[in-house]
Amino acid sequence: MTKPKDLLENTPGKKVLLLANEAIARGVLEAGVRLVALYPGTPSSEIGNNLTFMAPHIPNFYFEFSTNEKVALEVSGAAAVAGVRSMMICKGPGLNVAADPFFSLAYIGVRAGMVIVVADDPSMWSSQNENDSRYYALMGNMPMVEPADPAEAKDMVHDAFELSEKLELPVLLRTTTRVNHTRAPVVLDIIKERPKTVEFEKDPFRLVPIPSVARKMHPKLLAKIEKAKEIAENSPLNFFEGNGDLGILTSGVAYNYVVEALDHLELETEIYKLGITHPVPEKSMVEFLKRHKRVVVVEELEPFLETHARRLAQLNEVSVEILGKEQGYFSRVGEYSPRIVIESLGKISNRNTRINWKDIDKQSEQIPEMPPRPPLLCAGCPHRASYFAIRTATRGKAIYPSDIGCYTLSISPPLETADILFDMGSSITTACGLAQVTGQDIVASVGDSTFFASALPGLVNAVYNKHPVSLVVLDNRTTAMTGHQPHPGTGITGMREEVPPLDIEEVSKGLGIKYVKTITTFESMAGLVKEVREMVKWTRENKSPAVLVSRDPCALLTAADRRKSGEYPPKYYVDTEVCNSCKRCLNRLSCPAMYQDTETEQAVIDETLCNFCGTCVSVCPQGAIKQEEK
Amino acid sequence: MVGITNNTDVINIAIAGVGGQGVLTLAEILAKAALLDSHNVRVGEIHGMAQRGGHVVCTVRIGEKAKGPIVDSGTAHLVIGFEPVETLREIHLIRKDGIAIMNSHVQYPVAVSMGKAEYPSEDEIRNAIRKFTNSIHEFDAMKVAKEAGSSRSMNIVMFGAIIGSKITPIRKESAIQVVREAFPSRFEEINVSAFEAGFAMITQFMKE
Repeated sequence: MTKPKDLLENTPGKKVLLLANEAIARGVLEAGVRLVALYPGTPSSEIGNNLTFMAPHIPNFYFEFSTNEKVALEVSGAAAVAGVRSMMICKGPGLNVAADPFFSLAYIGVRAGMVIVVADDPSMWSSQNENDSRYYALMGNMPMVEPADPAEAKDMVHDAFELSEKLELPVLLRTTTRVNHTRAPVVLDIIKERPKTVEFEKDPFRLVPIPSVARKMHPKLLAKIEKAKEIAENSPLNFFEGNGDLGILTSGVAYNYVVEALDHLELETEIYKLGITHPVPEKSMVEFLKRHKRVVVVEELEPFLETHARRLAQLNEVSVEILGKEQGYFSRVGEYSPRIVIESLGKISNRNTRINWKDIDKQSEQIPEMPPRPPLLCAGCPHRASYFAIRTATRGKAIYPSDIGCYTLSISPPLETADILFDMGSSITTACGLAQVTGQDIVASVGDSTFFASALPGLVNAVYNKHPVSLVVLDNRTTAMTGHQPHPGTGITGMREEVPPLDIEEVSKGLGIKYVKTITTFESMAGLVKEVREMVKWTRENKSPAVLVSRDPCALLTAADRRKSGEYPPKYYVDTEVCNSCKRCLNRLSCPAMYQDTETEQAVIDETLCNFCGTCVSVCPQGAIKQEEK
Repeated sequence: MVGITNNTDVINIAIAGVGGQGVLTLAEILAKAALLDSHNVRVGEIHGMAQRGGHVVCTVRIGEKAKGPIVDSGTAHLVIGFEPVETLREIHLIRKDGIAIMNSHVQYPVAVSMGKAEYPSEDEIRNAIRKFTNSIHEFDAMKVAKEAGSSRSMNIVMFGAIIGSKITPIRKESAIQVVREAFPSRFEEINVSAFEAGFAMITQFMKE
């Protein structure tokens, strides 16, 4: 398995198998980046997961898991303004959080290279929307590069820093899930050194964009983008490939599908592959359009390059047919695949595909109905116990605003405790809005990492404006969903240093919450139910917000600890003499470690999956679930 | 050898299972072994929310012409299923001449435990798979893994089966070398015997 230490190897020329996210982490090392700040977000998470373990071994390198993306962009932006290479990394929605500093940073510019990695998520494998971050480059006037695979991802880290330094502007490196999570051979390069410190040179009339300053900066920024256009004209990152009547304009991961589709269809075309997608090389693109009667644009999500092509054709009076999303040849929704490109190119060029997909699709429809297997809370997950208690205490009748993390999975039956969600931190704020207009009990829930990332301003709002809402903080001691990164409540930094953790209870009290309690999730189900009930009652009577911290570590962390130590608690089992097959445990908990014996209809605990939380014991009315004696 | 009739520039493999079964790890070691033998390779992985006990599919593509990681319907030379229903869910990926290798050990989805969905019978699953390929090999890889020393080595049993199928150009020695190097040394013995057991199992099947 690739480990962070493998990414530190000083072996230029060595070919290794890397996930694009690992390749970007390696690129940070090679490019002499001095500071990286980020808030984890899939599909970009593995970049930080590797950097945090590499960081203590890299001289003059600082890495942090910032409290959120806005913070991360400000921390890293300032470092680049001071004069060292820096990077900020986020998922698509993370750039929305960081949008405010993003636009200012383009105006102010940087003295050393800065790269902002943004990972979009077509098909929304793990995101709440499919937003196309390329428009940030357009709107913010920030150059952008887009790799198609892991090798390009690392190379483009180098290219992006060079471009950034030429222009004194941050550069976006935009990926999509299918690039981030592709593993492929990558060749290692030499490792640049990094400066220990730089001296901050004051220049307030450049670095403080008060209106009079900003008015001068805007034309300067536009001039920089003009310069970037010239660079894009001659950059090897934008290249032509092949010959043919048909032209294909493409970028990013779609380029791979185009190459595979052309091979499949045995079609000769000229491909224009753009590595720099903002600003587009207008002169070269016009020449490309002029060379062809028909140009197909293949890009995932929005018609970004397509619109550029149409604009340039109109502006330069090029008579070319541009085929893309506008005529429905390609979708604006979801990831592409070779098949999607083969089928559309086949239609456009009147070629048959070699595979009869219609037959396969028809065949697939005849498969017997399969039970769904969506992602769900793990066996032993403390959230399951917390949500069971929340539902029981409120008899399922309260409104349950949710937030972003593993716990959003409580949307599914039987827990059904995710009623509304906008974005990071919206649990507490949507609760405020709902409380004012419904008069119903509101029990919101938020994870520990999200609490620090985005819930604090919402809590202040709830206190000051006296919103009667209950908030359960599901404190599982980590940022679980994205791969167990530390956060300010854990006591570990991105540099793997031990520091005093921030205490959620103390923080809540400090913000003025009058009712704050902490409980150990797995200590007693009856206790947990009672605490939730009391909090809701207090909120109702005092017309003020209350916080209950439900604390127990993520089941994956405890399971890993047990595997390491080899010490396991006694097993849980269903006593077949006592179990009356009422199925309450199965129906109320939906624990993946439990199933029904097909013959006896009794519940069974799968010992290879059980994580020893014992929640099922308290749910069984017969007392049939027991733990073995030591 | 059963199966593959067309000459092909790329070998496509799809690995389907349940999050937590070791699907990702198998995809990575398979690709590592391919690279060790100097083959071009691509792996498509699923991370994040998709991993939490849900259905997972990873792809491995070996050969010069592999550019992207995606394996489309009807293009997989091998479909590896860690669980019967999950095999069925991804069987549309297989070529007509492709081979399916399936672990017969059932892991019930919670929808079944809750009585909200039914788990298809062994025959239903087998017959449905047969509509896509005649070449299906199934065995209880969980049992084999436990016999090798740990239920967690089930993915290595499947690795042995993949290499034993001789569909990939990967040498057995390279595969074993990767198995030895990829994990902490305390698991080495278990993993190597899991690999050999899977390898032997499929070799036996393919003789029959």
